[in-house]
Amino acid sequence: MKIAYTIFLSFFVILFLFTVVTYQNTRLAEQVNENSETFARSSTVVRESNRFQRNVLNIASALRGYVLSNEATFLQTYDSAVTENEEILAELDTLVQQNPRQAALLREIRELNDNWVNELAQPLLEAKKSSISSDSGKHAFQKLYRAVVVTGHVKEAQALIQGRTSQFTNIEYSFRKANKQALTASIEKTKRTSYYLTAVSIVSGFFIALFLARFISVKIVKMVRMANEIANGNYHVSMQTDRSTEFNQLASALNDMAQILSQNISLLKGKNEELDQFAHIVSHDLKAPLRGIDNVVTWIEEDKSFDLSARMKEYLILIKGRIKRAENLLQGILMYSRIGKEKPEFEKTDLNKLMNEVREYLPENSSIKLEVQPNLPTIFTERLALLQIFTNLVVNAFKYHDNQYGIVKVYYRELQDRFNFFVEDNGPGIASAYHERIFIIFQTLQERDAFESTGVGLAIVKKILDDRNLKITLDSEPGRGSTFSFEWPKNQSNEKTD
Amino acid sequence: MKRLINILLIEDDHLDQLEVQRIMDKRSILYKLKIAKNGEEGLQMLRENSSPVFEGPPDIIILDLNMPKMNGFEFLQNLKPEEVKNIKIFVLTTSEEKEDKLLSKHLGVSGFITKPLKLESPSSLDAFNLMINLMNMQN
Repeated sequence: MKIAYTIFLSFFVILFLFTVVTYQNTRLAEQVNENSETFARSSTVVRESNRFQRNVLNIASALRGYVLSNEATFLQTYDSAVTENEEILAELDTLVQQNPRQAALLREIRELNDNWVNELAQPLLEAKKSSISSDSGKHAFQKLYRAVVVTGHVKEAQALIQGRTSQFTNIEYSFRKANKQALTASIEKTKRTSYYLTAVSIVSGFFIALFLARFISVKIVKMVRMANEIANGNYHVSMQTDRSTEFNQLASALNDMAQILSQNISLLKGKNEELDQFAHIVSHDLKAPLRGIDNVVTWIEEDKSFDLSARMKEYLILIKGRIKRAENLLQGILMYSRIGKEKPEFEKTDLNKLMNEVREYLPENSSIKLEVQPNLPTIFTERLALLQIFTNLVVNAFKYHDNQYGIVKVYYRELQDRFNFFVEDNGPGIASAYHERIFIIFQTLQERDAFESTGVGLAIVKKILDDRNLKITLDSEPGRGSTFSFEWPKNQSNEKTD
Repeated sequence: MKRLINILLIEDDHLDQLEVQRIMDKRSILYKLKIAKNGEEGLQMLRENSSPVFEGPPDIIILDLNMPKMNGFEFLQNLKPEEVKNIKIFVLTTSEEKEDKLLSKHLGVSGFITKPLKLESPSSLDAFNLMINLMNMQN
């Protein structure tokens, strides 16, 4: 699976878990809200039903008061209580519509109340009123009083209403209690689920992140290692490409690159070898005819059977000179093509002794002085290659020096992992335009006729250093001498000097 | 009385033929010379009985290695031991061809004459000393 898809899916899973938690909490909040509304309604129901109970008592005592004392104030109390109870019943009716049991009970209470008020209380009041004005009324009242009050009918009706109303209120209480318990349970459940889901999403998020990080990091480390291998010149590396991730594409791109590099490098190596071989064969085979020409010219000079004119002699000298030059050039090509062919041999090298060897290559009787920094170090290195570099640089400095009392200096600087060697002369100097050209084979800055030089020395130095990835730099200006400096590793191979 | 030594020179390059003759002249070696241009011709000349130059086998064979048709090594391999029983063979070589030298020794060569030919060249001294000795020997 693609990495991008994996990341997307992981985020989606975690996001989903959090969405579930949020949804649960929202629902709980709604429940709490609903519950508080229910509670408010319930409080109203209870309050109103209590008021109703109180009014029932008020009606009863007003009725009794009026019947006994005949005071009109009792009538007022009675009327307002009756009216109020009518209103209360109407309100309760709207509040308990959702609860069928309460609604039925309320209907019963209403019927009982109507019965109590209209059939018993009201006739008794009317009878009492008419008993004041006439005797027949008095009798009628007495009769009714005995029929409903003395027999306890009124009292019974009142008690029945009160009992039913208490029942009604109790239902409301138990309903409220059940509601509260449900809410508590719901809160508890939501809490638990939230904790659980949050924990799951944190843990799964952690593991997904860990997996992705590890997966990506392992792949990247592998690729970095491979790139380093390539940088170190090992092109025969490849990575496993087992899963179809983006890394797979990157890995196969890297593999392709390494393969192409490897192919190109071996092609290049082959071509280089071919070229070196070609140079070797050409220079070797060209030497033979040159030597033949040289022989014949020598024979002409040696044979005294006829005299040569002065001009003839000059021509012969010219021919020999050109042959010598061609031989030198061929020898140069041979030497150049041989560099790097031999297996490098490392040996303990005292650089002081090495510089003495260099002196042997200098022209005898030269008045130019070679000043070597005293106490050069002893290192374990490729002695022959270093000798060749020093010899070519120093001999060059001598050869091109324009002052017969010139000075050539050799000194070094020690860096952390390598030396910088310097060969400095106070000769004619080289214009910066030629600083690169002098390292190319057969390039010389002097006219060939004026100065016999093949232009191989510096090219060989450069090739030796290039083969080892080391740098050579030239600091020079016309009239201010030249300083060649080159890098050289301190101790090659693992052996140390004593 | 000095005698002439009989030499078979097997060498394809005319210039080298001349050079060998010149150096022998310089060393005052007196000789009769047959020249073959390759190994095949060399074998033929070695085996022929009558020739205007000299009769019978030569005292010395001077052999170049790089030749067309049959080169020096092939020539050496084709020789029968009895054919060269009393003949000294010298190989013309350049100083650089070390492997050639080893192989020639193996094939029964007495010595080398190193090109370019010089009077003072020490590596060729054996060959010329032998010629002078042969020359001074009485018949």
